[in-house]
Amino acid sequence: MAISLAESLSVGLADILTRKVRSAVTVIGIILGVMSIMVVLAIVNGMNKSTLEWMGERGGLSKIEVHQNWAYDFSKGGDASFDLREINYIRQQVPEAAAFNPQTQLNPREMQYGELGYTCSLLGVFPDMVKVEDWPVKTGRFINQLDIDNHNNVVVLGSTTATELFSSRSPLGQYVTYTGNRLLVVGVMEPKFLQNQGGGESFGGENALEYMNQRAFVPLSTLLSKIDPNQRINSLSLQAADPESAKQLRRKVEDIVLDLKRGKRLFMVDSAQEQMEQMKRNSQIFSTIFVLIAVISLLVGGIVIMNIMLASVKERTREIGVRIAVGARRRDVFLQFLVQTVLITGLGGVLGIILGYGVLGGVGKYLKLQVIASAQMIWVALLVSVGVGLLFGTLPALRASTLDPVEALREE
Amino acid sequence: MTEIIRTANLVKDYSLGKVKVRALNGVDLTIGEGEFVAIMGPSGSGKSTLMHIIGCLDTPTSGEYHLDGVLVSEMEKNQLAMVRNRKIGFVFQSFNLLPHLNVLKNVELPLMYAGAGQKERNLKARQIIDSVGLSERLRHKPAELSGGQRQRVAIARAIVNDPAILLADEPTGNLDSQAGGDILEIFSRLHSEGNTVIIVTHDKAVANRAGRIIRIMDGRIENGDIAG
Repeated sequence: MAISLAESLSVGLADILTRKVRSAVTVIGIILGVMSIMVVLAIVNGMNKSTLEWMGERGGLSKIEVHQNWAYDFSKGGDASFDLREINYIRQQVPEAAAFNPQTQLNPREMQYGELGYTCSLLGVFPDMVKVEDWPVKTGRFINQLDIDNHNNVVVLGSTTATELFSSRSPLGQYVTYTGNRLLVVGVMEPKFLQNQGGGESFGGENALEYMNQRAFVPLSTLLSKIDPNQRINSLSLQAADPESAKQLRRKVEDIVLDLKRGKRLFMVDSAQEQMEQMKRNSQIFSTIFVLIAVISLLVGGIVIMNIMLASVKERTREIGVRIAVGARRRDVFLQFLVQTVLITGLGGVLGIILGYGVLGGVGKYLKLQVIASAQMIWVALLVSVGVGLLFGTLPALRASTLDPVEALREE
Repeated sequence: MTEIIRTANLVKDYSLGKVKVRALNGVDLTIGEGEFVAIMGPSGSGKSTLMHIIGCLDTPTSGEYHLDGVLVSEMEKNQLAMVRNRKIGFVFQSFNLLPHLNVLKNVELPLMYAGAGQKERNLKARQIIDSVGLSERLRHKPAELSGGQRQRVAIARAIVNDPAILLADEPTGNLDSQAGGDILEIFSRLHSEGNTVIIVTHDKAVANRAGRIIRIMDGRIENGDIAG
């Protein structure tokens, strides 16, 4: 006896098509709300992924970095650098660190091989650099402890430096000259690569980490004793055993450095894990606020829909009376109006998703942000729009289904 | 003759604010299967109320109403909806077609609420529309039809579920005499085919078509329930 859901759907759809303009106006709030939710979630997703990729390429979540504190007022005196004695002291204090790499960087100068020259940055590092940066050599070997102990004149080239000087030939066993020092090439690094953020297809070529490939590495001891004795060590990276212990190690290193510099906050100590947690907190706050705004817009849209549906019930009182007279049950009338509201909001949801995709394309392209639209988001958007329909369609449907047929048929 | 309608001491009270109005004051009425009956009475006599109760759109305050052997005065709303759908065909003065549905869809409406499948609906509705001479107008909207055509669609809708009674409320009230005559012809034909037809009217000419006239005045049947 009851009419089926499919029947209600077809009646509801026919109603919507009969009142196209009204349905379109009704649904705008839902379209915008769903679109906003989708755009915000996709941007937050994208930002989280970008940051994770960045951190992954820069040594992972166990990494701890000691670098100059930009906020420090250097007029108070102090020098944001270490000497080898201080570095060795720190190393002894943190035996639990899985890797330990102090480094210093010279201003770019020309590296020469025969007739050829290439301007690159020379860095003095420890063997642990490959661990801290999670960056293996491609051919040959990296700097080892023997090189450090013996101040060996060896160099490992970044991939671009190697190509610029040697083209396709192997640089291994060759000598290059840097500020008058002859250095034996013992290895070439793997190229570092990170797709430029949010580039999308059209911006895809740019490698955000290319500057690292343009470097060359020598033992820290060699750099400080032979190449530039005035150079000081201005950064230090460590690797904790795992991301969880990174927090603890960071605090420990911070205390050691602070103690070493007599309480002057010359250095900042960051852990990737904590940076990422902070970033996640920020993005969570950001997305919560924007999703709330979108939800408010959905609720406003829902209230608009409720009002329009209430007006529609009033306007169609006689029709409802006729339907009841020919045998519609209360449930049939209720379903007819509820399904109609849900269809409108669901349709709005679909349109919002489509519009959201369009906006996301624009955001990705013009703001150069990585955006990620997931299937899950589409379901969320659809569920939310259908939920709004159920929530705000109930009252009009209830009003329609409880009309007194005698009164309804009398209505003009 | 089998009884199709039997009421016993039907009473209907309305409260208008604090004032209680008794619209029906003890109506005893029997209508046999296949009868053609006219219910007459001035406005305010209670004839509309009686029609609503007979049509199961309203329930009596007290008294009993048997329709087709079933006590419907005790039924709840969902059961009444089923009774309206299966046992009663309404024809209204103002046609009451759904304006955005075409002729076919309007006539299919009771079949839809009866749970009939699309194929069955379509077939039955087309047959009935054909019987009232509107098979050329299947896809027309009510607004594209004349008054007489609209009322024929309404009659088709009323009889499509093969109801026990056909209940018409001033069916010619909005029609000119020519169209009204055509409509009454259809009622006569339906009656001759064995349908029970009840017309509520205040028009003597219309009532004279019926086999029996029931007069109602101040909520009571005036001339009793004597077969005419």
